[in-house]
Amino acid sequence: MLTPLLHRKRKLANEASKGVVGEMGDAVQQTRQIYGARLLVRGLLWISVFLLARGLLELGIPSSPARIAVALLPTPFFGWYLWTWMKGVSRMDEMQRRIELEALGFAFPSALLVLATLGLLDVATTFDANDFSIRNTWLMMPMLYYIGLWLAKRRYQ
Amino acid sequence: MKNRLKVLRAERNWSQQDLANELGVSRQTINAIETEKYDPSLPLAFKIAQLFARAVEDIFTP
Repeated sequence: MLTPLLHRKRKLANEASKGVVGEMGDAVQQTRQIYGARLLVRGLLWISVFLLARGLLELGIPSSPARIAVALLPTPFFGWYLWTWMKGVSRMDEMQRRIELEALGFAFPSALLVLATLGLLDVATTFDANDFSIRNTWLMMPMLYYIGLWLAKRRYQ
Repeated sequence: MKNRLKVLRAERNWSQQDLANELGVSRQTINAIETEKYDPSLPLAFKIAQLFARAVEDIFTP
């Protein structure tokens, strides 16, 4: 349903970048809109496939190769999502790129800190594996990135 | 870094969006430069200077 909308936006952005519709700034604006919509659609697609794969694995597929295949199913979708994100970053202007860099600069060491602390706490008081396994703790990484993004955006507003 | 971007823009009756369009950056970037929250890169500073037909040091001062 979103595909015709994306094609239309892409066409508008192409025209804008050629100077048919507007000037360079309009093209930048259009590109940002397209990037946002694509990122959202591909992100939702990846999350859907991820949840599907997790559901199938929890249902209990007996064959081991089939389990591995299902576990790897979301990987290309996540790769597609990451590629979209990287392409979007390459089209950003210099301040927006700095904001992204600062967000990652916050998220990466924060994730290390949380993981190292959880690791030590796990040794100290053995966590419940269902709550603190990799299958759940990875979720804090995007959360930390979005916190970093919010902090960086606030700095330049 | 201090700058005279807001004054120069006002002299030409340009909005932040107009200037952003001319420079190929976002309006937020123009706003951050004007409020001195963000220092532009050297290429962008030269682009701004060229647009206003001034030397870089006439617009930006440390």
